Amino acid sequence: MNTRTLKAKLSRSSEGRQSEWLFGMSGKATFLTALILVLLFCFIDTAVPGGKLIPTYAKHIVVTCLIYAILSLGLDFVAGYIGQVSLGHAAFFGLGAYVTGSLSVFYGVNFWITIPIGMIISGILSVPLAFASQKVKGPFLVVITYGFCEILRYVAINTSAWGGTSGLPGIKTPTLFGIKLTKLGPTNKDGYILILFAIVAFLAFFTWRVVKSRIGYAFAAIREDEIAAVAMGINTKYYKLLAIVISACICSIAGSFQAVFASFISPELFASTQSISMFTMVVVGGRRSIIGMILGAGLMTILPELFRMVQELFSLPFDPWMILYGLILIVMMRFRPQGIWGREEKKK
Amino acid sequence: MVFLQQVINGLAQGGIYALIAIGWTTVFGIVGVMNWTHGEIYMLGAYAGYFLTTMGLPMVPALLLSMAVGSLIAMAVDHFGYRPLRKAGTLATSGFITALGLSTFLRYTANAVFTVNPRAYPELVEYRLITLFTFKGQAITISSMHLMILIGTVIIMIILELFIRKTLVGKAMLAASQDMQTLGLMGADSEKLIKITFAISGALGAAAGFFIGTIYSINPMMGALAGLKGWSCAILGGIGSITGSLVGGILLGIAENLTAGFISTGYKDAIGFVIMILVLIIRPTGFMGYKFEEKV
Repeated sequence: MNTRTLKAKLSRSSEGRQSEWLFGMSGKATFLTALILVLLFCFIDTAVPGGKLIPTYAKHIVVTCLIYAILSLGLDFVAGYIGQVSLGHAAFFGLGAYVTGSLSVFYGVNFWITIPIGMIISGILSVPLAFASQKVKGPFLVVITYGFCEILRYVAINTSAWGGTSGLPGIKTPTLFGIKLTKLGPTNKDGYILILFAIVAFLAFFTWRVVKSRIGYAFAAIREDEIAAVAMGINTKYYKLLAIVISACICSIAGSFQAVFASFISPELFASTQSISMFTMVVVGGRRSIIGMILGAGLMTILPELFRMVQELFSLPFDPWMILYGLILIVMMRFRPQGIWGREEKKK
Repeated sequence: MVFLQQVINGLAQGGIYALIAIGWTTVFGIVGVMNWTHGEIYMLGAYAGYFLTTMGLPMVPALLLSMAVGSLIAMAVDHFGYRPLRKAGTLATSGFITALGLSTFLRYTANAVFTVNPRAYPELVEYRLITLFTFKGQAITISSMHLMILIGTVIIMIILELFIRKTLVGKAMLAASQDMQTLGLMGADSEKLIKITFAISGALGAAAGFFIGTIYSINPMMGALAGLKGWSCAILGGIGSITGSLVGGILLGIAENLTAGFISTGYKDAIGFVIMILVLIIRPTGFMGYKFEEKV
C-alpha cells in the first residue's frame, strides 16, 4: 500500500521527461537500430567483396566493450539504484571467470552450464557484502567491498591449482548448436559479439523492467532516504540484499565470457583497478541510465586503446591514459556530476 | 622466542600504519570526505625524502622538509579538488569520485615523472641489531632502523596530541569533528581550519612515506595498498580517534607479521582486510570510536 503511493508520486514526477533510450526513440526502435548496426559491423566484410573495412582488432575491442557493458549494468544496481559505492565488483567478475575456467579445464563442464553455476556462487558470496551493507554504508562500505575483492585476489594468487599469479590457460571455446563461437562469423570475434549483444540487450530490458516495478521504486526510496523508506514500511534489508545479489549475478556472467574469450584466467581479474574502472564507467556514463551504462563502458574501453596507440606512436615510457583518466573524473565531478547520459538530480 | 620477535618486528610497521591512519581520520572527521589521495601523498612524501636524502641532507631536516612537502601537496589537493565542490555543495555526493580521480592523476603523473623503477634511500642510520632483552635464553632484537622509526612515530604522535589538546586551533579541530556548522556559527573560520587539517594530514602521510623509505625501496605505485591499509587501521581503531588509530596501526602491523610468520607470507597483505571487515561488521565504531546514531 505504501509503495503504491510512492509509486504514484514517483511516476508523476517522471512524466514529461524525455525517453531514457537513445534520442527519444522507443525501446524497441533503439534495440532494432543497435541490432542492425551490430549485424552490419559483423558481416559487412563478407557482404562487400574483398572488403577489409573493419580490422579484427576493432572487433576485439567491441567484444571487450560488451563485456564491460554487462559489468556496468550489473554494478549499476548497487552504485546507481541503491546509491552505494562499491569498489569490489571485480570480485564477482573474477569469480565468474574462475568458476567457468576451473570447471571447464578441470572437469570439462559445458560452458553454458558454468554460467548459472558462476552466478549462483557469486550470488551466495555476495550475501556477506549485503549483510555488511546493512550495518555500514558510504566510505565504510567502499573499503569492505574493496577488501573483499582483495581477499579473493590473494586467494587466487595463493592457490597453486589456479596457477598462482601466472593464471590458468587453456579454457576451451564454447559451442553453440555444435558450432564453435569463434566460427560463427567471418572473423573469430563475431560469434562473441552477437551473443554478448543479445545478453546486453536482454539485461537492458531486464533492468528497465525491474526499475519500473515495485522493486525499482523500493530501490529509489532506499536511495533517496533510507530512514523514510523504513518508516514507510519498506523492508530495506531485503531490497538491499536483492540489489547486491542481482548485481553480483550479472557481473558473474561477464566474468564467464571473459574467461572463454581470453581462454585464460589470472588474478588480474580481481585487481582493484578493474573495480575502479567499472565504477568509473557507471559514473561517467550516468548512474541509473541504461544507455549511459553502455556508453560509459564503450567510452572507457575505447579511449584507453586509443591512448595506447598514442603511447606507441610517440614511444612514451608511461601510459598517458591513466593521467587523463584521473583528470576526466575530476572535471566530470565538477561540471557534470550526473554523468554523460544521466539525468540531473534535483536539489532538495 | 619467535612469537615475541615477530611482535617486535611488527611494531615499527604498525607505527607507520598509525601515522597514515591519523592522516585519514583527521580529514574524514573534519571535512567528511574519504580522502583517497592520502596514499599518494604518502608516496610523494617518500619521493621528497628520497631526493632530499640523496642530496645529502641529514635525516631530521630531510624528514621535516618532506613533511612540509606533504602538507603543501595535501593543501593543493584540497584547494583544487575539494574546495570547489564544497562551494557548490556537492562534496557529499561527488567528493569520493573526485578523490579517486585525483589519486589516479597523482599516481600516474608520478609514474610518468619518476618512472616505475623502485628506488632506495641512502643508508641514514647504521644498520645493527640491538638486543632489547633476553627471553628464556634467546635474545629479542630490534634493528636500529625499526627503533628509529618507532621513536620518530611516538615523537610525532606526542606533538600532535599536545597540539590538539593544548592549542586553540587544535581545540577548534576537535570541535569541528563534532559539528562543523555550529563551529562556523561560533565565529571560527572553517575554510582555514580545513586547510590546517589537510596540512596536518599531509605532513603525517609524508612522514610515514619517509619512514617506509628508510627500510624498503619506494615506487610510484606504493600508495595504493598502504593508503588502504591506513584506512583499515583508522577503522580498526575507530574513526575520529587518534589513540584508536595508534592502537589500530600497531595491531595491524603485528597481525601482518604474525600472519607472515605463522600462516603464509602470501596472505600477509590480506589479513588487514579480513580484520577490517570483521571489525566493521561486528563493531562498526571500532575499538575506540564513539557511536554516531542516525536519528529519524
